[in-house]
Amino acid sequence: MSWIGNLITGMKSLMQRDRVERELDEELESYVEASIADKQHAGMSAQQARRAALVEVGSRNSVKHQVWSSRWEGGFDGLLQDARFGMRSLLKSPGFTAVAVLSIALGIGGNTAIFTLIHQVFLLNLPVKDPGSLVTFDKSDGGGILGGVDLGSYGMFPWSFARKLQADPGPFQGIASYGSFAEKVSVLPPAGPGDNNPARAAILTPAAMVSGNYFSLLDAEPLLGRTIEPADDATPGSGAVVVLSHHLWQQMFSSDPGIVGKIITVNRTPFQVIGVMPEQFQGIKLETDSTGMWTTLSMQPVILQQPSFLTLDGPYFLHMFGRLTPQAAASKAGFAQAQEWLDTQVRMQTRANEGSSISAARQQEINRLTVPLISAQHGISSMRSRYGDSLGVLMAVVVLVLLIACANLANFLLARATTRRRETATRLALGSSRFRIVRQNLVETMLLALIGGGLGLVFAFAGTRSLIAFVTRGANYTALKSTPDTAVLLFTLAVSLLTGLLFGLAPAIYASRGGSSTALSSGARTAQADGGSSSRVWARLLVTAQIMLSLVLLVEAGVFLRSLRNLQHQDYGFERTHLLVADFNAKLAGYHPSQTNALHQQLIERLSALPGVQSVAIAAARPIQYGHWSSTVTIPGYKPAPKENMVSVLNRVSARYFETAGIQLVAGRSITPEDSATSPKVAVVNQTFANHFFPQGDAVGHTVAVDIDTVKGPWTIVGVARDTKSDDPHSTNPVRMTYLALEQIEPLNPVEPKAKGSDAQADTAKTQPEENQDRFATTILVRTTGDPANTITDLRRAVASVNPNLPLLGVESIRDEMSALLTNDELMSTLTGIFSVLALLLAAIGLYGVMSYNVVRRTNEIGIRFALGAPAPVVLWMILRESLLLLGVGMVIGAPLTFAATRAIRGQLFALGNIDPGTFAAAVAVIAAMTLFAAWLPARRATRVDPMVALRCD
Amino acid sequence: MPEKPDEQNPSGSRDVVQGTLEMLILKTLALEPMHGYGVTQRIEQISDGVFRVNPGSLLPALSRMERAGEVKSEWQTTENNRRAKYYQLTAKGRKALIRETEQWRRQIAAISRILEA
Repeated sequence: MSWIGNLITGMKSLMQRDRVERELDEELESYVEASIADKQHAGMSAQQARRAALVEVGSRNSVKHQVWSSRWEGGFDGLLQDARFGMRSLLKSPGFTAVAVLSIALGIGGNTAIFTLIHQVFLLNLPVKDPGSLVTFDKSDGGGILGGVDLGSYGMFPWSFARKLQADPGPFQGIASYGSFAEKVSVLPPAGPGDNNPARAAILTPAAMVSGNYFSLLDAEPLLGRTIEPADDATPGSGAVVVLSHHLWQQMFSSDPGIVGKIITVNRTPFQVIGVMPEQFQGIKLETDSTGMWTTLSMQPVILQQPSFLTLDGPYFLHMFGRLTPQAAASKAGFAQAQEWLDTQVRMQTRANEGSSISAARQQEINRLTVPLISAQHGISSMRSRYGDSLGVLMAVVVLVLLIACANLANFLLARATTRRRETATRLALGSSRFRIVRQNLVETMLLALIGGGLGLVFAFAGTRSLIAFVTRGANYTALKSTPDTAVLLFTLAVSLLTGLLFGLAPAIYASRGGSSTALSSGARTAQADGGSSSRVWARLLVTAQIMLSLVLLVEAGVFLRSLRNLQHQDYGFERTHLLVADFNAKLAGYHPSQTNALHQQLIERLSALPGVQSVAIAAARPIQYGHWSSTVTIPGYKPAPKENMVSVLNRVSARYFETAGIQLVAGRSITPEDSATSPKVAVVNQTFANHFFPQGDAVGHTVAVDIDTVKGPWTIVGVARDTKSDDPHSTNPVRMTYLALEQIEPLNPVEPKAKGSDAQADTAKTQPEENQDRFATTILVRTTGDPANTITDLRRAVASVNPNLPLLGVESIRDEMSALLTNDELMSTLTGIFSVLALLLAAIGLYGVMSYNVVRRTNEIGIRFALGAPAPVVLWMILRESLLLLGVGMVIGAPLTFAATRAIRGQLFALGNIDPGTFAAAVAVIAAMTLFAAWLPARRATRVDPMVALRCD
Repeated sequence: MPEKPDEQNPSGSRDVVQGTLEMLILKTLALEPMHGYGVTQRIEQISDGVFRVNPGSLLPALSRMERAGEVKSEWQTTENNRRAKYYQLTAKGRKALIRETEQWRRQIAAISRILEA
């Protein structure tokens, strides 16, 4: 009989237990009868024969049990029995079970929640064929538009280079490129039949621009229609096609199966829908706010609403990736060859860009240029760099919490094993094997762990949902999911089983030991006390470990909180109260650059008239936001040192910007309404800028020119403003800043005098200069006298009264904006805070449990002490002393651990040293208080022991 | 998990040389199909009462062997007109008997060589 047959027979006999029992009974019966007959035959009397036969067979139940356990289903049946027994004994002590299940559930829930995110951000492969052979050219986690840097810096490339490598991918199977950031575009669905309503709702969604071979290189198949092909992207300005993401197709087009071929409007330009991607495809770059559609790079002017970048000397705005050949993906040498080829291409192109006169030093520099190939197996995710470290720390934190929960349960179970000694001894005496006892105990703890794990999954689901909502800050759609997938379920199962083993194995083995006959004797009191000593050592070790781990968690939580406070309370250089910011987009509403001044004027007038508004300004960027507009500058009369960094961050601001943002001026004046389009161009610089370029303090009156043609200047510096934090709140490097007068930016781009002769047609076409897109500004700042929230409705109404079609995007107080910038820090301090309180609570429960148990166990001894005349405070101290010792040991071991942990997370902290004595002291105080409280209650109970009762009972 | 016939018999078979119970049962059954008590009796008789097998060892062993496909069982009427479960050797059982006998002979020979050396 094969094992399958064995399995089937076993299953059958499990199903038909009664029949199998009956057959065994019958067989035994016939055995006995045959034996009797035989013995009678040999000359015994009927009575003697029966007796001898019965003795020979012995206990029938024992025989049946042995037959039963010689088969596999016997073991299985035993397990079921243990599970039933375990269930009953869990239900018998509902209080213990509830606390145990809840603490496991919280521990496992935390682990599952964090793992769900780690799994999605780090571990999932790109849903394309053979993702292992995809490589990006340098880290592609940034994004933007760059100029004036070396080719490939920050993983950015210009269109011409990408085009060249696409045509000739060298040792790669192919090389593709895509826009390094997904700009939000306004999308209008197609007009339905008889749908004459012009006010169909437009929505804003991030659109990714990709090269024609992007999809074929990824080998990503569409759900409907087709993907973008090289022919679509062949000619700049043509190829107005889009591939929709699954969620946009669902959200905006109600999963219309006939969408392919329809025309939708993107940024007021008709685009044809050619396909829909499947749900799991998010592109090679995963963003928190997921890409809504993919379109061709050739449509860049429409998508970005900027002049064409698709020229030979266009800016760097693309990321690139390639697919290695199988040989290159498999061998180091092949990989090195691909790397070498890419570096050669980059160096060649750089030389070609710089013309004939390259200095020797520069030659050397170019020879060192390299663009590392980086595996794109898991895709590129900005979340990885932003939240990677935090997720790592959180994972460590939840593991610690789970360990504390395990220690608690191990403690409870040890205590219970001690009280169950008589039961265990009885079972051993009745012939049970130690294995059976260990197994039964383990099954019970596994049951606890699995129920806890199941409940933990529910907690994790809820937790992950709010985590994702917190991290994505209410983005319309995110690819992050809170529903557990197979990997997460397996993880939870594994953690549950491991947890069960961790807290169950030691108590189970302990319980099976020492079935000495003394445990059964009537003097079980002393026997218990003896046997209990090893369990007490264990209990103390576990409590000490809990105190230690709680200390670590509490200090880390405190440190994160301090870091967040430091960030929030640092000097930002602008006034953060009573400031409202709103984003609008005149470009999408159809305004031309020539109309912006009038529009801004109108907006400022209308908004200034609102009640409760102190002043209003318009700017290209908020006082603080991620990402910035910057350029190198030239200062007449200032001789830059070789290779000196001449970059300044730029902002375009209207009059009264400084008053509205609350930025103080330290010299000169601010930009005023008198600085009109016709008056001399003026700018304000910040202190860092002034101190660097004008160390004598004579910045005001000098001029500065910006190395961007559209805002070249020269600008006369009329004032110096205080330094502000304009980008990452964590950064402590002062940044140079130049504020240009928005109203004075030229309405038309300068006509370039170059490129004569070579392309006569292009020359004639260029006589008509393009409009200057840098005249647009997108931020309204409003300083209010009262709560800024009260002004939001008025603000919306006022903007709508200027032009109802002017899309007003986000309106929020600068405080909300700040908290968005500090999401990660808030997340860390909130979560570590929650988890450390949880840990503390668990540790307190554990300590309380152990101490109470000790007091109950020592009731006799305490009674004797009282009877012999010990005063109550002595007894109180006796009990407290033990817990204080544990506290002390836990602290002493915990302190160096705490410092090590703080050092490990130092990179995520702001303005804090390795050791933060205040936080440490506070954590020690909290834990000491907790310990004393948890020990005080049982200790006080000890002092109330009535010696008469104590000595009489048991 | 299916249990394999084990070298070590469960306790209670002290009366039989360890690891030989199944071989003895196989040998006994090789003569003719028999019920449980018959096997006990036969082993005791042939061994001149040296080996005694109690039902606590015999029945689990038979159950194991049945699972392993070495014997098969059938309810039949005994000579005394009672119902009893008769065990019968299968082809697989015959092979097992030959194999185990071989092995046993080799072991005995080796042990004797060691003892006589």
